[in-house]
Amino acid sequence: MTIATNRRLVAAIALALSLIATSVDARGTRTSVGSAGGGNASRSTSGSASRSASVSANGNSGSVNRSANATSNTNVSRSTANGTTNVNVNRSVNVDVDNDWDHGNRWDHPVAAAAVVGGTIAAIGSVAYSVPPSCVPVAVGGVTYQQCGSTWYQPQYAGSSVQYVVVSPPH
Amino acid sequence: MPNPGRIAPFLRRSAPSIVLAAGFVCAAAHAADTQEAAVDPKVVAALKTMGEHLRQLKSFSVHADTTIDESTDEGQKLQFGGTIDYKVRRPDRLRAEIDTDRQQRSFYYDGKTLTQYAPRMGYYGKVDAPPTLRELADVMKEKFNISFPLSDLFRWGTEDNDGSGLTSAAFVGPAKINGADCGHFAFRQPDVDWQLWLSHDTYLPCKLVITTLDDPTQPQYVALFTWRTNVNFDDKTFAFEAPKTAHKIDIAAAQAAGQ
Repeated sequence: MTIATNRRLVAAIALALSLIATSVDARGTRTSVGSAGGGNASRSTSGSASRSASVSANGNSGSVNRSANATSNTNVSRSTANGTTNVNVNRSVNVDVDNDWDHGNRWDHPVAAAAVVGGTIAAIGSVAYSVPPSCVPVAVGGVTYQQCGSTWYQPQYAGSSVQYVVVSPPH
Repeated sequence: MPNPGRIAPFLRRSAPSIVLAAGFVCAAAHAADTQEAAVDPKVVAALKTMGEHLRQLKSFSVHADTTIDESTDEGQKLQFGGTIDYKVRRPDRLRAEIDTDRQQRSFYYDGKTLTQYAPRMGYYGKVDAPPTLRELADVMKEKFNISFPLSDLFRWGTEDNDGSGLTSAAFVGPAKINGADCGHFAFRQPDVDWQLWLSHDTYLPCKLVITTLDDPTQPQYVALFTWRTNVNFDDKTFAFEAPKTAHKIDIAAAQAAGQ
């Protein structure tokens, strides 16, 4: 495989990874209500008075119980527990995993290896979410790098996730 | 129908309105399908009372045991546990330890800068921050895409919760949370359903559940709160001192909308 092909491949992998990250962000579970009751949440003003089936009808009735009881499963006995369904749990949730999570972990976690942008030559500017454990942290001119053979990564925070941007060797 | 006088202690302070409200509820029971009736003013008042009590806390810590749902590409819902510890000194100090099954982060805010630290990875980054806690969560989200889970705790304490933006606000009933008596409330707003349990004794949140509706799997975030309201923190609590093994890295600016 030529270097050029390699670069394209690596860039494609990096692109794919960043796309995964984007999609996870977009559908992320909210961890705060936001401006609820604060006044600046855009209020839908469709006057159709669409009746929400649960709590809304009146302020202090017990109408909540019905929907709560009807839908919730409280055990997993009906799930396919025979082990044949090899669910890919990692793919959609791995991008937020710290890359040192698995070190010393007794459970084999395939994600860290899978998410690494290859050990060959990575395109400048491509982004990875972890680097191989063999990489070495190096400080050059006050900047922190991870040197992985001839490839240099500059870690940075994107939100609260650490990502590794492939950069030119600093020296 | 539950006795309105027992539904929530939040009503005690405004006894005359209970009588009015009781009459209103009975009279309006059959015509309660409108948007206006769905937002119970007594519940909005309870939110306001909570906000007042939060605002009175000048120095406090709150611990939250959390779970968050994530879905696989196949639509299987997974739950991850975590803990949050906020130490707050109004108006301009925050220390946060936010740990989940996947990630550990510490935050130090001193009214001038915010430091984000990943203890296990040894990376820290520092950025300029707004002068008060009140603006911190919004500014950090907008500029750096850094989210503070449960940032409502800081928002509720400073804003006038007038209920606008809510399409539904209702009292559900009494509940026990970690052995304490709490009132259970349910709210709807565009793309989000949320439930809040408020302590009968302190008016502070016992529990919060947020359901994200614009995700087809409707994932939930659950937080159970433990409050300490008689604590004092010195400046050191909010100052970050980098361990020798730590490396400083950049915090990238958030990409423009539509990234």
